[in-house]
Amino acid sequence: MHWRLFATLAETAGEDRVSVDDAETVGEALDALLSAHPALESEVLDDDGSLVDHIRLLHDGDDPFAAGDGLDTPVSPGDELALFPPVSGG
Amino acid sequence: MVDLDPEQLDRYSRHVIMDDVGPSGQAALLDASVLVVGAGGLGSPVLQYLAAAGIGRLGIVDDDAVERSNLQRQVLHTDDDVGRPKVDSASEFVADLNPDVTVDAYETRLTRDNADELIADYDLVVDASDNFGTRYLVNDACTLAGTPVSHGAIYRFEGQVTTFSGEGPCYRCLFPSAPPEGAVPDCATAGVLGVLPGTIGCFQATEVVKWFLDEGESLDGRLLVYDASEMSVDEVPIAPNPDCPVCGSEPVLSSVTEAAYDGRCSLSESADD
Repeated sequence: MHWRLFATLAETAGEDRVSVDDAETVGEALDALLSAHPALESEVLDDDGSLVDHIRLLHDGDDPFAAGDGLDTPVSPGDELALFPPVSGG
Repeated sequence: MVDLDPEQLDRYSRHVIMDDVGPSGQAALLDASVLVVGAGGLGSPVLQYLAAAGIGRLGIVDDDAVERSNLQRQVLHTDDDVGRPKVDSASEFVADLNPDVTVDAYETRLTRDNADELIADYDLVVDASDNFGTRYLVNDACTLAGTPVSHGAIYRFEGQVTTFSGEGPCYRCLFPSAPPEGAVPDCATAGVLGVLPGTIGCFQATEVVKWFLDEGESLDGRLLVYDASEMSVDEVPIAPNPDCPVCGSEPVLSSVTEAAYDGRCSLSESADD
């Protein structure tokens, strides 16, 4: 499966697509992303280790926090995950 | 409803001959009023196309003067306008383009103190601002008033655009609070591809015109994310958040004068600002 990163997150990671293996859940896939790109952690997780509330996470186009079991939502090889921060320019 | 005069039947003939617009659709546009917050990169194409389409009354809120560095993307303003208030060059552009449009120019920043009064006078608000504070203020004031909002925002090669009906979900259902200061830089710091606000602003103008025509599928409930570099579009679903402090089942905000629109713009007491 792979992650797609948008705006500032892609710049922090230095790439906008990151492949991860061996993840069974959205949370494990997120852990794998953050191990591949540790600089993302402070932008994506808050002090207690949960996803910051100003970033939206999608799993195959759906919000797993609304439509699934959040970070426990199962993932399969080939799935696409994405992280979207807000932007403000005009 | 307005009756179209012969000059209007000519000016708007390409609308009038469309079955989905027709004389009644054009009359609805002439009867509409829109407040555009920001006469910059996004506000330029929004004002140009809404004026051309014959939106009957356009309000323009901006407290900035034109700078030369704006001209790479803010196509309402010209080199001769450098140093002049943006609302002046924007108003002149609209007046020159279409005498059917009444322009209300407000050379001011949108604030907690003037937002309710300004918004109350319009059918719809376009958020073409350039900072998170104004964006959360527009969202909160319009959601409390039940006023629809066209939202657009840009960063380098990427743009985000959606439409909020005013009934919820709202921008806070999508992004409950702003990122920490500096985490998502503005155009002055990060730069922006000059044509990007043209694309995103045209999406916003499209949504506004459709709104008044009551035509097609609105972006209500989904954020369109456009990447000019990849020429790709993604959609982020926007579900109503029952815990939303503005449009949820137990809202905590009853007036924008109670909130602070700086830092994280957070409405939850537990969040660290």
